[in-house]
Amino acid sequence: MKRVLSRWFTDYGMVLVLFLLCAFFSVATYTEQSATGEVAAVQVGELIKKQFGGNALVVIAVREQAEDVAFAKRLNAELIASGARVLAVIQGEPKDAREALMKIVATGGKLHAIACTQATSEWEVFSDLKTDFPSLGEPVLLAPLRYRWPIFLNASNLLNIANQIAVIAVIAIGMTLVIVTGGIDLSVGSLIALSAVLAAKLIRDCAGGMNATASGMIIACIAAVLLCGVIGAFSGGMITQFGIPPFIVTLAMMLVCSGLAFTLAEGQSIAEIPDSFMWLGRGADFLGLPNAVVLMVALYALAHVLMSRTKLGRYLYAVGGNREAARLSGVPVQRVLMFAYIASALLAGLGGVFMASLYKSGSATYGNMYELYVIAAVVVGGASLSGGEGKMFGTFIGALTIAVIQNGMNLTNVESYTQKVVLGLVILGAVLLDKIRHR
Amino acid sequence: MKQNLLLLAVASAIFIGCGKPAADNEGATPAPKPTAKSKGTIGVSLLTLDNPFFKIIGDNITAEARKRGYDTIVVSADKDIAKQGNQVKDFIVKRVSAIVLSPADAKSIVPIIQEANTAGIPIFTVDIPCNEPGVKIVTQIATDNFGGGKEAGAAMIEKLGQNGGKVAVLHFKQAQSCILRVKGFREVIDAHNASGKAKIEIVTELESGGAKDIGYKAAEDALQAHPDMRGIFAINDPAALGARAALEKANKADQVTLVGFDGMPEGKQAIKEGKIYADPIQFPDRMGVQIVDAIIRHSKGETLPAEMLIPTSLYRKSDADKDPTLK
Repeated sequence: MKRVLSRWFTDYGMVLVLFLLCAFFSVATYTEQSATGEVAAVQVGELIKKQFGGNALVVIAVREQAEDVAFAKRLNAELIASGARVLAVIQGEPKDAREALMKIVATGGKLHAIACTQATSEWEVFSDLKTDFPSLGEPVLLAPLRYRWPIFLNASNLLNIANQIAVIAVIAIGMTLVIVTGGIDLSVGSLIALSAVLAAKLIRDCAGGMNATASGMIIACIAAVLLCGVIGAFSGGMITQFGIPPFIVTLAMMLVCSGLAFTLAEGQSIAEIPDSFMWLGRGADFLGLPNAVVLMVALYALAHVLMSRTKLGRYLYAVGGNREAARLSGVPVQRVLMFAYIASALLAGLGGVFMASLYKSGSATYGNMYELYVIAAVVVGGASLSGGEGKMFGTFIGALTIAVIQNGMNLTNVESYTQKVVLGLVILGAVLLDKIRHR
Repeated sequence: MKQNLLLLAVASAIFIGCGKPAADNEGATPAPKPTAKSKGTIGVSLLTLDNPFFKIIGDNITAEARKRGYDTIVVSADKDIAKQGNQVKDFIVKRVSAIVLSPADAKSIVPIIQEANTAGIPIFTVDIPCNEPGVKIVTQIATDNFGGGKEAGAAMIEKLGQNGGKVAVLHFKQAQSCILRVKGFREVIDAHNASGKAKIEIVTELESGGAKDIGYKAAEDALQAHPDMRGIFAINDPAALGARAALEKANKADQVTLVGFDGMPEGKQAIKEGKIYADPIQFPDRMGVQIVDAIIRHSKGETLPAEMLIPTSLYRKSDADKDPTLK
């Protein structure tokens, strides 16, 4: 038992760290919140019944959001059932509320209560009813009850985290392949920009711009991703054929691709793309999960199988562990290296297409510094920069850790400069942990 | 085993230690006092906080908001649209009452604003507008950049009108505001040339990144290409100061008239010292105050104009000499 635990800790120590981080941010974001939708409607309905009985004169004020509309609908039904009179249902902005109240004033009506959601109860238009609308009587403002719960643990926030890291996590798969072989790929950030710009430009200029068809857009995206693959093959070729260190080759390609992206985009962002293009990055068709998250999970599953169950996976580790020994035992070292760099570039290209879809435009500024976040995710995940070591699962946890730290710090109002310091320290801490572990 | 657990404890301590600033910082932001309950939170994501201009906007938003009972979260997008997108997502999760943006990219910001629209949070922009279709923005507060560009053109003519000469523009094309500045500048220069006076020729338009280092390089290159340069219009103070350094290095500070934009303390100081000829100055402090005012007026139920422009005013050495804020 002890030995199993010990092995588990050395293998999955990062999981525990991630868990601790989540726990920490849950405590740090433990704040007051209110119910929404129908639950909130029932609460407010009860409040009105209790305070005013059956003859209440009520106005319902909500925004145009789905959950607000559901609130208004349910509350309206509840109130009518209890005999109260709903004078108006305001759906919209504060100015609509002002108009509705003015109308009631004009007809000389009185009002007992204004039923609000949490958001509308903060509207300033209701803040001074006594002076602004004296003839209404003295209506009270009723909002759903407040309860305490960590914002960090809201389902919407957890999805948020997964969504925010999807692009970096997907590229980190390719980076893990490269790092496991003992190399590095600095060009991924620029490849994101190049791929995003290229996809957007192809859609605008070749696929018909705003009227582009789905197939046209798909072809444009595939072309952009494939071009990144070609660039990856070029880097791989330079590394394998001429023996130039990967750091230098990919550094050069980083500059080349960034320059190409800026040239292609002419320094502007390309946004003449149909709205339907956003489906890829913003759609959520599978079990309500965003497409980006689904794709990320699927790719990780695939990569995990590749690394742990296939010959190619073992070759990757062998090449990274000891290249000479691998060569002598008949591993096609050069082809394995080519595979790693092409895969990394293809995934970066895919990331770029996702970014273009997410922001419905291609800009050469995308992906700036991403190579560093991606490398950080891989390293935090336990891969060794000297090669031969690293797991896809670890990289996944590493990417999530970075996302949780960034999101958590945003939620707790940490200044963005402090965030960088913290992130840097975390990366250092993770590598330190790794070193001590191997002693 | 024991050793492993110990290491784990050390590691966790590191991480928890890293998390600490979060807790401290949260304590530092004005938590709603029990006596005067906060009326809500305003989320602000500005283009960058490196440029004092945005820092002043942010500080004034915070100060004005506090005065009127609101909390604020001011973050820097570091000119990165993806980062800004994440910040807005986090604002939505926190259910802020209003979001103020100065977009890192006027086009790519569209889906982000739509997301906030869907969440029902009113959006305001400051300094950098977004004029794309399909987004709902309550109001956009910005400097009258076109008018400011015209003032810059007038300042250039003031100095070069007699003899004319070659002029370079240090641009930052990513920002709509800078495109407007250059447009205004060109319009005035074109009008001057059309009137048959000594011709002022805009020979080159280089990317300055709106930053000192890139502005420096761009100016240096422009001087190499056109040694007889007579004037440079830089779209902001950092770019102008970068250009000034290049002029000094090339010993051409007296030959070339430098016109900047913004009127940041550093820029004003440079005007006082005669390093920059003049700046159309902006009023970021007024912008910060106005944006909070706009948020509250919107919340009160008023209808606001789609755009509120704040005019610039031309600031020369004579103004700087009278300015009590300068040394």
